[in-house]
Order: sequence, then structure tokens, then C-alpha cells
Amino acid sequence: MIAARLAWGNLGLHRRKSLLIGMIMGMGILILFLGNSLIETALSGLQRMFVQGYTGDLMVTGPTEFSTTVLGETAGSEEVLPHIAQIKKYEDFLASRGDVASTLPLLSGQVSFGIGETELGFGYCFGVNVDDYRNFFPDNVTLVNGEWPAESNGPWVLLSEPTLALLNKSASSPVQPGTKIIMTALANSAGTVIREVTVKGVIKFNQSNQQLAGITLVDADTMRDLLGFASLRDGAPVLSGQEAAFVTGFDPDSLFNDLFAGSGGATGAAVSGAAAPEQSASTQTSVVAEVVPAWQFLLVRVKSGANSSRLLSDLSAFSEQIGDGDRVQDWIAGAGKVARTAVTIRLAFDLLVAVVAVVVVMIMMNVLIISVNERLYEIGTLRAIGAKRRVVRNMILYETTFLALIAGAAGLLAGLVLLLILGKIGIRAPNLFFEALFGGQVLKPTVSGGAAIRAFLWILAMGLGASWYPTIVALRIEPVVAMRGD
Amino acid sequence: MSDIIISLDKVKKVYFLDTVEVDALKDISLDINAGDFVSIAGPSGSGKTTILNLIGCVDKPTSGAVIVHGKRTSDLNDDSLTELRHRSIGFIFQTFNLIPVLNIRENVELPLLLDSQTGNEHKADRKEWVDYLIESVGLKERMLHKPAELSGGQRQRVAIARALVMKPAIVLADEPTANLDSATGESILRLMRHMNETFGTTFIFSTHDPDIVEEADHIIRLRDGRIVEDRRIHGETSVGFAVGATGTEGGQL
Repeated sequence: MIAARLAWGNLGLHRRKSLLIGMIMGMGILILFLGNSLIETALSGLQRMFVQGYTGDLMVTGPTEFSTTVLGETAGSEEVLPHIAQIKKYEDFLASRGDVASTLPLLSGQVSFGIGETELGFGYCFGVNVDDYRNFFPDNVTLVNGEWPAESNGPWVLLSEPTLALLNKSASSPVQPGTKIIMTALANSAGTVIREVTVKGVIKFNQSNQQLAGITLVDADTMRDLLGFASLRDGAPVLSGQEAAFVTGFDPDSLFNDLFAGSGGATGAAVSGAAAPEQSASTQTSVVAEVVPAWQFLLVRVKSGANSSRLLSDLSAFSEQIGDGDRVQDWIAGAGKVARTAVTIRLAFDLLVAVVAVVVVMIMMNVLIISVNERLYEIGTLRAIGAKRRVVRNMILYETTFLALIAGAAGLLAGLVLLLILGKIGIRAPNLFFEALFGGQVLKPTVSGGAAIRAFLWILAMGLGASWYPTIVALRIEPVVAMRGD
Repeated sequence: MSDIIISLDKVKKVYFLDTVEVDALKDISLDINAGDFVSIAGPSGSGKTTILNLIGCVDKPTSGAVIVHGKRTSDLNDDSLTELRHRSIGFIFQTFNLIPVLNIRENVELPLLLDSQTGNEHKADRKEWVDYLIESVGLKERMLHKPAELSGGQRQRVAIARALVMKPAIVLADEPTANLDSATGESILRLMRHMNETFGTTFIFSTHDPDIVEEADHIIRLRDGRIVEDRRIHGETSVGFAVGATGTEGGQL
């Protein structure tokens, strides 16, 4: 304990240097604690918003080389995201696991709205089974006006409040539940598709940003039509024997043998095998194709406490086995630019901290070396009267540790006070970018214990790192130095 | 007779100042008996401090043998030398070398606190012994003061108490009176002699003051790294508490 006693005394004796190093450490802890808490608050808010309201924890998408957001934005491609051909296999695989809470198939794309010949605006649309959607995201959608549609209602749409406001800006008469509107989309495979749908209600997303708040929900079949996938609205297609044979035994090379004789078939409908034969107008036998509904996304929620990274890995391996080129990705990829920006900001902050840490360590190291050199005779005397090297080493390490503890406590306390104040008054987003990043107009940072511990460990590590070379210098001081006089 | 506690045999010490070789000691041989009150005299640069460094195990000879308390110092590693210094040698420095952050009591107790073998069971004895030493050097009233609050003479008294706290066989004092006025220097010398007679501790001090040299009962004079005089005046000296003992029972002044 004498090393600790000497270290404590030295901090008091060399107040200016202690204060300088302490202030550097305290400021470091304050910045780390504040910065990490702000970033974590924004990230956890974003994660909560997307996972609980839009993306789930993980998602499978149709085959694509690029990550695709749940809004259908595919990096580097203007193509409509293809459907997941063997979605049933994924559903069965996920149902067999104990760590999966629920799944939701989904379609997504951008459409334009209009009444009659008049185009009123654009917006993002999710094609869903409304009951499944509400079960999957139970807390995120509130019906503001109208009623929830039933599957038997035919083509329906639930307009979000911002989309309704956008349409009403240009509409000659108010758009409201019961109004029939025209939805148009450019599906690459089927050209421009136009559908008339009935507004069943107006919804509000409880957690959203400006972009997400405008999402419209539409029945899955209408969305399939708009995206150019086969719709099952009128039941499974009846194929002639020749058509069935073509679809089931399709050979791409045959296209080149008989270029104009082929049939296009429905894009995005998975036809597997032939069902019961039926009579047709022709003399050939007809079949009812077993068609699996086209879905572009399969969203997955993991159970509370389950390891989503592990599921991501297992699901990716399963997707590899299937071999269709489907993509498995986490919520960050599904959320897109906003979440990636937040993650990038955190990485940039960590990088900045690492660079600043190197500079700070160098400054602290210099101050500590000066301090050691000023105590040559003292350390020499300690060695002369019987202190082993470990006593000297411990003395320097105790000095750094005490400083880290005191400066750390002061920095954390200051950070805590600032965070509590900011948590009360909030930080207003200066522009739309920050609004998206904050997950709202105001970010109210919360105190993160993890950020506090990480900040403290950073500073302690920096302190110990900075004392490494000064300790070596101190250990090189020979006892004979004491005899040379002060 | 007395037991020989320190022996130097054909000791040579060479320093290198850049490319220049400086022969600080040239084939020095001497014996010091346990309980001696020894002065090492000589002008500046004669090798006084070098001899003390070698005896104090803070330096090693270039050639020859230095045997302290039966141990040949050149055969010992750093830890063993530290242990030997800790248990067998007390130091009194010209510039006092007290630890500024510790008070007088803590400074005196410091070598005991560095002793990992001193357990809590001896705490009461230890306290009694430290108090006794501080009282012996006349600083009982100031034991909670910091070194900076004391005069030079008082600081050197603290250094003497610290040098004796481990009950060493040998106390080395490098020009202990050089930074003191003559009256204070004399009182320090008297105190050292008193401790020497009371505990039988071997005191070896260097000085260039001719009056102080003659206070010793074994005088070694150096010039240019050679012994020019090695004279015993009072004959054998008595031995008090066990040489090299590290127990906590103190003797009486």
C-alpha cells in the first residue's frame, strides 16, 4: 500500500501536472460518454422504430446482388425487386426454430395516386395481408378514420395521414374513406399498370420519420398487379396441357428454336407441378397450376432475448442451400440510408476517438515523463533504501489509476448532468437529415450505462497506455542516483 | 577484534565520461569492523562517494571484490542487492533525500513499509519503535510535519532515524554535515556517534571537514582514488543490537 500512498501524495504535490492530465482525462470521458450516449440513443431509437414498425429484426428478400430497403430501394439497380420463389421453405424453416417470434410476407414499391385522369402525387406502398401486418407490427399503426379492410373487401387502400393530405391538396373533392382512387406503377415486366382501389381508412404510424409516415398500405393482390407479379385474385390460373408442359418443362434454349411460338407466362408466380386435370375448349387436357403467391420480402421478428446475429447466420446458410440467390439481411440494411448513416457516424466517432486517443496519450506520456524526471532523486532514494522495482512501477500505475478514477468520476458526473438536461429539453433536429437520424424532430438522449463504462475503460486504458513508457523510464533509475544529491 | 563487516579487495572503479576513462578508485583494499565509527576523508574527486556507493550496493566495482555483510556484491542480482540494502544498510544523504509527500513519521517508517515480510501482527511494535526513534532524534513534536516544514538539521535527524529503522548493521552517510552550519553539523555528528555507541551500528561517513574526520575511530584518507591513510584510533568498538537484525525491538539510548 505504500506505493498507493506515495502515488496519492505525488498527485497532490505535483498539482499542476495532475490537474492538466486530469482535465485531459475528464474531458475525454465527458466527450466519450456524451457522444456515445447521443449516438446510442439515436441508434436504439432508430432500431426500435424500424424493427418494431417497418423491417422486423431480419428479412429475406428476393434474389438481388444488392441490399434492398423495405421501401424497395435497391442500391445500384432500378429493377423491381424479384419475388422470393420458395418462400414456403423459408417460412417452414423459421417456424421450426425456437428463436423466431413471427414472420410477415410483404410487397413494396413506389406508386402514383390519382382520381380519374388527375395525378395527385407519389408515395411508397406496402402490399400486405392487413391482419398479418397488424399482428406483426401490433403497436405501430393506428386507424385514424374509416375501418380496417377485410380480405373480402376487394381492392383496398389505407392511406397514411401525410399521403391523404398530399392528395387533398390537389383533389377537387376531399379524399376520404369510400373514395375510389387510381394507383399507377411502372412494373418493368408488365409495363404501366393501373388499378382502381377504394380508400378504406386513414392510418397513422406511431413511430416514423417524414419518409416512413407517408407509407400507404394496399391489399397484396393489387400490389402484385402494380409490380407486375401474378395476382391470385381470380384463383389459380388454368393452363392448357401445352401451357402446363411449357411451364413445368421450360427449357430456355427452346426460345431460340422457336422464337415467336413461346408464351410469356406470369412473372413472379412460382408454378410447381400439375394439379387435377380439367376439361378445356381445346381437345388437350387442362391443369390448375399450383401457384405460390409472390412476395418480395419475408420479415422476421426474433423472440425477446434471442440472438438475431445467429439467426441471420443460420438463415443465410439456409438461403445458400436453397440456391435461388435470395438475400438475407438485418434491419440496418432494411432501413437503408438513415440507419447506415447512423452506424457510419458511430464508426466515424470511434475512429475519431481512436485518433484523438493517440494524441492524448502522447501528451499524457510527455507530462508523465517530465514528472518522472523531476523525481529522479526521490525514486533513486526509494530504490536505495530498499524499494524493489515493482514498488516504483506500482507507484506510477497507481498515479494514473487514481487520476483516471477522479477525472473519470468528474467527467461522468458532468456528462450525466448534461445528459439529464438534454434529456429534459431535447436536441431539435436542424434539418431533415438529422430528423431522420434522430427518429423524430427532437432527440432526447438517455443515459447509457454501457457508454459510461466504455468511456471509463477507454480513459483507463489510455492512462495506463500513457504511463507505460514513463514507467520504463522510472524503472531505469538506479539507486546510485540518490547519492548524487538533489 | 571485531568481526569484519565490510571488505574491499583490490577494488578498481572506472567511469567513462564520453570517451574518457576516469579511474575513480585504484586497487583499493580495506576492512571495516562491525561497530566501527568510520570517516572517509579526502578532497573532492578523491573517490569518497564512489567507495560509499560500492559499500552501499548501489554500484558495482569494475574489478576486485566488495564484500558486505559476508556477501560479494558483484555476485548478486538487482533484487538481491535491493534486499541487502534494505535489511543491512541505512543511508544518510548529503541532501537528506526525504520523501516530500510523506510526513516525518511516514518518512521514518518508510523502509519498514517497503518490507513485504512485515505483517500486521507487528504493527504495534513497529509503531512503538518508530516513535522511539523519532523521540530519540528530538522530533517528537514535529512528527506529523512534512519535510519542507523542517530546517536542514531537523531533516538530517529524520534521515538518521530513517536509516536506523530497519536496525541495519551498517549506516552510510555521504557528507552528512555538508549542507548544515557547523553547530548543527556537530550535533548531527554527536547523534550519529550516540547511535553508534547505543546500537553498535557501523557508521561510515564521508567528509572533507578535517575537524569531523578526527571524530571517527577509524579514519580512511583518500587521494586520487588511492588510500593514503587507514588509521584506527580507539581500537575495537562494541556491538549493540544484532547486526543486520530486522526485528522491531529497539535498544535504549
